[in-house]
Amino acid sequence: MIQSTLAILASKSASFILKKGFKKGTSLPGKIASKICPDIMRHVSKRVKIVLITGTNGKTTTTSMVYHMADKTKVPAFSNISGANMEWGIITSFIDHYRFFKKEEKTAIIEIDEANVPLICRYVKPDIICITNLFRDQLDRYGEVYTTLEKIMKGVAYHQDTLLILNGDEPLLGHLDCPNPKRYYGFNVSYDQDQQIEMNTDAKHCIVCKHPYDYDFVTYNHLGKYHCPNCGYERPALDDAVEAILEMKPYGSKVIINKEEYTISQAGLYNIYNALCAYSIGEALAIDHTIIKDVLENQESRFGRQEVIQLEDKKMTIFLVKNPAGFNQTIDTIALDQEPFTCLFMLNDRYADGTDVSWIYDVHLENLAKLPIKEYIIGGIRAYDMAVRLKIATGKSDHLNVYEDYEAITKAVLAAPTPHVYATLTYTAMLEYRKYLENAGYIKDYWR
Amino acid sequence: MELHICHLYPDLLNSYGDIGNILIMKHRAKKRGIEVIVHNITINDPFEPDLYDIVFFGGGQDFEQSIVSADLKENKRDAIKQYVEDGKVLIAICGGYQLLGKYYMSANDEKLEGLDVLDIYTEKGDHRAINNLIIQDQDHYYVGFENHSGKTHINGLTPLGTVKYGFGNNGDDQQEGCRYKNTIGTYLHGPLFSKNPELCDEILLSALNLKYGEVEFSPLDDTFEMKAKQAILDRYLKS
Repeated sequence: MIQSTLAILASKSASFILKKGFKKGTSLPGKIASKICPDIMRHVSKRVKIVLITGTNGKTTTTSMVYHMADKTKVPAFSNISGANMEWGIITSFIDHYRFFKKEEKTAIIEIDEANVPLICRYVKPDIICITNLFRDQLDRYGEVYTTLEKIMKGVAYHQDTLLILNGDEPLLGHLDCPNPKRYYGFNVSYDQDQQIEMNTDAKHCIVCKHPYDYDFVTYNHLGKYHCPNCGYERPALDDAVEAILEMKPYGSKVIINKEEYTISQAGLYNIYNALCAYSIGEALAIDHTIIKDVLENQESRFGRQEVIQLEDKKMTIFLVKNPAGFNQTIDTIALDQEPFTCLFMLNDRYADGTDVSWIYDVHLENLAKLPIKEYIIGGIRAYDMAVRLKIATGKSDHLNVYEDYEAITKAVLAAPTPHVYATLTYTAMLEYRKYLENAGYIKDYWR
Repeated sequence: MELHICHLYPDLLNSYGDIGNILIMKHRAKKRGIEVIVHNITINDPFEPDLYDIVFFGGGQDFEQSIVSADLKENKRDAIKQYVEDGKVLIAICGGYQLLGKYYMSANDEKLEGLDVLDIYTEKGDHRAINNLIIQDQDHYYVGFENHSGKTHINGLTPLGTVKYGFGNNGDDQQEGCRYKNTIGTYLHGPLFSKNPELCDEILLSALNLKYGEVEFSPLDDTFEMKAKQAILDRYLKS
């Protein structure tokens, strides 16, 4: 008890100093606390209802949606959406919200990196663990999708009565070997009935018998209504389903979920999945539908997730791109726009971006050739790799403009022939370019 | 002129963006007015050595690779061996490169039989090499990215190049990849041809020469490719 109190105090002091001095929290306070008291999570999570959200794509947006829902209920909620999603970052977030003398119920909506699920679950029992999807990610860091799933399930195995909320359209999640109660969400319709399973994706073969799946429809990547014609493994029955897609526009979508109409302010099919996932968690938390509706309709973009930045007379929409599935969804979302536009691409190869840039060849950049793109602006540490990729995708190179620094890129954006610029940036490119725009006085409030 | 490219198991052995090599071969051939027909050959499909001018063999994840290995042995091994021995063009990367050998040791010490097309073998390594890779072949460099734990020994076959930065075949003998007749095996992803267009042209020309006799190529504008390559050389080969 003394040890945990000391750990919390040390961590809170570190957090206070870091926030005062550097305007931002880090995972250092959590690190300090867990060095002093390894099971600190046990102490700071008392009376906290915990929801963990993991999976390759959609974690940040879904966590943000659910947090805003939970925050509108009578029980106070907190989240790590502005912080780090690994063990120490999560501990930091719990300690920041820990009060020594105020014993109240809380809800924690936590985004968690896949590999960190067991590290948190060994100390605390989450009420809900949600898995959004499992796509090929940066292979230099994460390894194979099957390995990623194993890591998550190692965490799940600590708590057999934690509710699992799972993407039912994800074939890797329909046959989990665990007794936990499960709630599945998915699509009962497809936006594009002609969408075929892509040859160049993972997990197209039955996890039970290795035979290729048949799909009634594919929503995107390997998600959809699947079944195995060989052994009979099939998509589980859905508890929460998108029953109709009424509208998909560059500014948002309208759908029917479980017989009710919802407006989703974040564009793109992948955001319908995020909204559906948030809905499903909201249902499990017994959150009122009027709150769910309100949040989905007014959800503001998160850091780099369709975030709009005004650069003089240019409107720039920033998409963070991390892996092929996400980049493909970004292209499909940009393609909803009928007006001519400019595209900015920035490819970095730092650790957080993935040091192997090969993955851009798993992205359907060929689809860009059909869009009304008036200019291509290319930058980043691996700008020329991106230029080669775009040359192969579009069949020519004279329209591709490479710039080697942020100033030149910004000049090109300001001189773009269209009012709207879509920017697809890898993680550190987004952080660094935002920082540049802030220092150059184009935008304010870099942090959060 | 036309080229028939066989892409082996594109639905299963498709990690690390290696499909880019197919896209780049198509692009570079098309610019020279050569038609390219890609044959996607997977489980249960016959391998027709006479039909193909170039065979591309990539790597995959363990789950997918386990699906492939049975089919290779049952349905394709002899035909692929024949194709290679006939001196036709084959390019194998990473997992595909390992599978061409006599055997490879899996991460859990299982000895997995290879196709025995090349006289090479792959031992289990104690760490995974995940980094940019630069090799030198005579007066030029090939660059890419490697991600493997196997240590491959090529038993006196000619390597594709000498390692200048990175791990290569096994981290010990400074060799990377191998050449046997018109077959090339390598650990270079990136994809391989994206920053090594000269190697892509060499392969396209070998295939065309075998089919049509002496063929000549007009050069292409490779400014982006060479700048992308130079960026890696500048970063890692600082003298």
